[in-house]
Amino acid sequence: MTGFLVKRLLQALVVLFLVTIIVFLLLHSLPGGPARAILGPKGTPQQIAHFNDVQGYDNPLPVQYGDYLVRLFHGDLGQSYKLNEPVSSLLGQRLPKTLILTVLSTAVAVVVAVPLGLLQAVRRGKPADYALTALAFLAYATPVFFLGLIFIIVFSQAVPIFPAEAPQGTSIGSVFSGFSGMVLPIVTMAFGIIAMFSRYMRSATLDNLTEEYVRTATAKGQSSRRILVRHVLRNALIPLVTLLGLYLPTLFSGALVVESMFNYPGMGLLFWNAAQGSDFPVLLGVTLVVGVATVVGSLVTDIAYALLDPRIRSVS
Amino acid sequence: MRSGRTPARIRVIAAALAAALAVVLSGCTRQGGTIHMAPTGGTPVEGGTVTMALPPAATPNWIFPIGPPGYSATYNSSLQELFFMPVYDAVQQGTDLVPTGAGTLGEKPVYSEGDTTVTVPLRDDIHWSDGTPVTARDIEFWFNMVRADKAEWASYTVGTMPDDVKKFQVVDAHTIRLTLDRAYNPDWFTANQLTLMRALPQQAWDARTDGGKIGDWDRTTAGARAVFARLTAHAKNLGSYGTDPLWKTVDGPWRIAQWEDTGQVTVERNPRYTGSQRPHLDKVVFKPFTTADSEYNVMRSGGVDYGYIPPSVLAQKSRFEQRGYRISPWTGWAVSYIVYNFNSTHAGPEMRRLYIRQAMQHLVDQKGMSDVVWQGSAKPTLGPVPAFPKTQYLSPGMAHNPYPYDVDAARALLAAHGWTQRGGHAVCTRPGTGADECGAGIARDAPLTLTLLSQSGSTETTNMMQVLKSSLSRAGIDLTVRQQPLNSVLGNSVACTAKDPGCDWDMSFFGTAGSWYYPLNPSGEELFSTGASANFGNYADPKADKLIHAVLYSDNQDAMHAYGEYLARQLPVMWMPNPAYQVSVIRNDLRGVQQNPTATFSPQSWYYVKKGASQ
Repeated sequence: MTGFLVKRLLQALVVLFLVTIIVFLLLHSLPGGPARAILGPKGTPQQIAHFNDVQGYDNPLPVQYGDYLVRLFHGDLGQSYKLNEPVSSLLGQRLPKTLILTVLSTAVAVVVAVPLGLLQAVRRGKPADYALTALAFLAYATPVFFLGLIFIIVFSQAVPIFPAEAPQGTSIGSVFSGFSGMVLPIVTMAFGIIAMFSRYMRSATLDNLTEEYVRTATAKGQSSRRILVRHVLRNALIPLVTLLGLYLPTLFSGALVVESMFNYPGMGLLFWNAAQGSDFPVLLGVTLVVGVATVVGSLVTDIAYALLDPRIRSVS
Repeated sequence: MRSGRTPARIRVIAAALAAALAVVLSGCTRQGGTIHMAPTGGTPVEGGTVTMALPPAATPNWIFPIGPPGYSATYNSSLQELFFMPVYDAVQQGTDLVPTGAGTLGEKPVYSEGDTTVTVPLRDDIHWSDGTPVTARDIEFWFNMVRADKAEWASYTVGTMPDDVKKFQVVDAHTIRLTLDRAYNPDWFTANQLTLMRALPQQAWDARTDGGKIGDWDRTTAGARAVFARLTAHAKNLGSYGTDPLWKTVDGPWRIAQWEDTGQVTVERNPRYTGSQRPHLDKVVFKPFTTADSEYNVMRSGGVDYGYIPPSVLAQKSRFEQRGYRISPWTGWAVSYIVYNFNSTHAGPEMRRLYIRQAMQHLVDQKGMSDVVWQGSAKPTLGPVPAFPKTQYLSPGMAHNPYPYDVDAARALLAAHGWTQRGGHAVCTRPGTGADECGAGIARDAPLTLTLLSQSGSTETTNMMQVLKSSLSRAGIDLTVRQQPLNSVLGNSVACTAKDPGCDWDMSFFGTAGSWYYPLNPSGEELFSTGASANFGNYADPKADKLIHAVLYSDNQDAMHAYGEYLARQLPVMWMPNPAYQVSVIRNDLRGVQQNPTATFSPQSWYYVKKGASQ
C-alpha cells in the first residue's frame, strides 16, 4: 500500500508540474500581453516598458517560468496588479466563499436527489416517475441564468422574501450572518445538480433492483423497505460517489454564472475577471488551486478504491 | 396540523404581495411618500446614507493620490478627491468646464512673464484633519515625490509635468510659483497640468521608514524616493486602508469609514473639514458589482440608491420611474472613434485617401445608431472636441456634422475617384494618382475590403458594428467585423510600420464606454500628433501637428477651434457615436446629483429631501 501511495503521489506532482507549464505557455501566447490590458489605451510606451521590466515580462519565457517556480516554492503566488492584493490573500478570501456556495448547494442537491431517485425507481413507469422525470428534464434543460432570474423576479421583487444579492462581507461570518442572501444562489445552483443526480440515482437503483442479492434478500423474507435502505441504497450510491469525486474541481473553481448573477465574488468570477484583464498571477494561482483539487480528488478516489478493493492494489 | 399551517403561509405571502404592490404603487421613497422627479430643489434633510453602484467589475484599489500606471481608474481618483481636496479640478459651471470651484484648493492661477511663469494662490481656510493648515509646503511635498519617481506615476508622459516645470518655488504659506520650461497656453496648462497637482499632508507622511522621524526628507531625491516607496508600500496593502493611520489625515469633506477587500468603500463625513462643501449625508457606500447584470438585479430590487442600467433597458424606463427613480444618462467628456491603420499592409493605401475616409464617414449614421442602438443614450462625435456637453472648446463650426449620413454622397465620392460597383462590390477601375483616380498603391480591380477589430461583450457595440457593416455595403465596401475581448483589441491595434509583423489590421474599435476620456482641455496631442503614444493608427499630418502645437503653446483660444475644425474634416479616425459613461438611475428623493462629464462624483452636494417634497 505504501508503494502504491508513493507512486500515486509522484504521479500527482508530475501532473501538477505539467499543468503549470501548459498554463504558463498558454497565458503568454495571448495577444496583447498584460501590460496593455492593465495600462489601457492611455499607457505610454515608456510605461509599458517599465511595467514589463518590473514584472519581469521582458525576460525569456524559461527564465520567467523559473522565477515563478522559485517564488512558488517560497509560498509566494504573486500580486494581482488588477486588484492590488496578494494572490494568496485573494484565494484566501474567495475560496471559502465559493466552497460555502458549492458545498451547500451540492449537499442540498444530494439530500433531495437521493430520495427522488429512489422514489422514481420504486415507482418506475407510474405517474410519479413520469412527473418527476419531466421535472428533472425541465430543470436540467433550464439555463442557470434563466432560473436565477426567475427566482430573483419572484422572490426578491414580486414577493421580497430573499435579497437579490448574496452577503457582501469578506469574512465567512458575514456570509452566515446574512444567510438569507445565500438562499437564492444555493437553490439556483442546486436545481440543475438535483436534476442530474436524481437521474443517476434512479438509474443505479433500477440496476441494483435487478441484482440477485435483492432476489436473495426478498426470498429470505426481508421487507422491501429494509432491502431498499440497507442494501440497494448503499450499492446505488457508489456511482453517485464517483460523480461527486469528479465534481470536486467544480467545487473549487466556483460557479461563474451564479456568482455573477448574485454579486457573489467567488473563484469563478475571480478567474473570469483575471482572464479578461490578463491578470497572469491570479490566473496561475486559480489554475494551481483547481489543479491541486483535481489531482487530490483523483488521488483520494484512487486510494479509496484501493482500500476498498484489494485487486486494484495488486494491479498497481 | 398540516391544514392549519397552509392558510397561515398563504396569508404571509398575500401580505408580502400586497406590501410589494403598495411599495410599487407608492413610488418607493425613503420616507415612504411620493417624491416629484427633479434633480435639484426640495427641502434638504440632513443625514442619511446613499448606496452608489460602482461600474461593473470595478474595485477601488488605490488610495495614495500618486497612482502608479494601472491604478488611475476614474473611481480611484474620484474616491481620492473625497479625502484629499484637489488643487484644481474639472468643475461644471453652466455650460463651461472650469478648473476652480468651491471644492478646489487653488484659486485662479496667474500667468506672467510671457506665460512662462504661473503663480498659484491657495485657499487659506483649509486644514488637515489633524488641525494643521494646508499650505504650499504640502504641494511642494507632492511635487518632490513625482519629480523623484516620475516613472511610477500614471499621469507622467515625457516632457509634461514635472518635466515642464523648471523651478518650483514656495512664495508664502498659501502661494506657489512655477517657472516653466517655455511659454504654454495658460488654458491648457491649467486644465491639463495644474489639475494633476495634489496637496499631501507633509507633516504626517514625510518619513522614510514606518515610525521614523517626520522631516523634510522629500527635499532630496533619495529622501523623496524613500518616502514615496514607503507610502506606495502602504498603498499596496489594500486590506489596511480602513485602519492604516496614514490615510486618516485628510482635508476633504469625507473620510474612510470602511474599505473592504471586496472593493466596497464606505465614506463618512469628515467632522474636521474646514471647506465650504460640507456634506449633507452621513455616509455614502460605494458598492462594487461583479457584472452589470448583478447590478441590474439589485437595482430592480431597490438595493441601490444611485445605480445604472444597460442602454437596452431604456425602453423600460417607465418601470423605474414608477418605482420612484429618475433616469439620467451621464454624458462623458469623451470622443468615440474607430482607429484607421494608415500603415496597414492590407489596406494602408485606401486608409490614406481622404476621399475614402470621407465616403466612409458619410456612411456612419450616427444619429440613427445613437437613437436606436443606444436608445438615445449616446451622442454623435463630430470631431476631436466632444460635441456634448457644449463647452467653450466647441466652436460653432464644430457643432454640426461635416459628413452627415448620405449614401449617395459616399457613392459619388468613390465613383469620382475611379471606383465602380460590380455585383455590389466597389472595385478600383481607374488606378493611378490623378485627381479622379483611385490613388497611389491601389491596383486595378482591387476591391474595397476592410477588417475591423471590435471590442466584444456589448450587445450595443455588436449591433452598432452590424449597422455600420450594412451601411458600408451600400456603397460596395465590404467590412469584416472580428470581435475580440477589449485587451486583445488593444493588444492587436498597436502602432506599427508596414515592415512590422501583425501590421495587417485595418480598423479597430474599443469605445463601448467611450474611446478616449479627456482631461479638462480636449487637446489631442496624445491622440493625433505624429508618433504620439495613443496614435495607434500612425496618423501623420504636419498641419495637424502645427495646430496641436498651437493649442499647447499659444495664448489663443481660437487655436482649439482651428484644431478641432481641421481634424473634424481630416478624419484621422472614423467618428462614431459616443456612448454615455453610464445610464444612471437615481432615487427621486436624492437631489443635488451633478453628473460631471469627467466622470468624477461629489457626494458632498447630494442630499435627501423631505417626504412629499416638491421641486
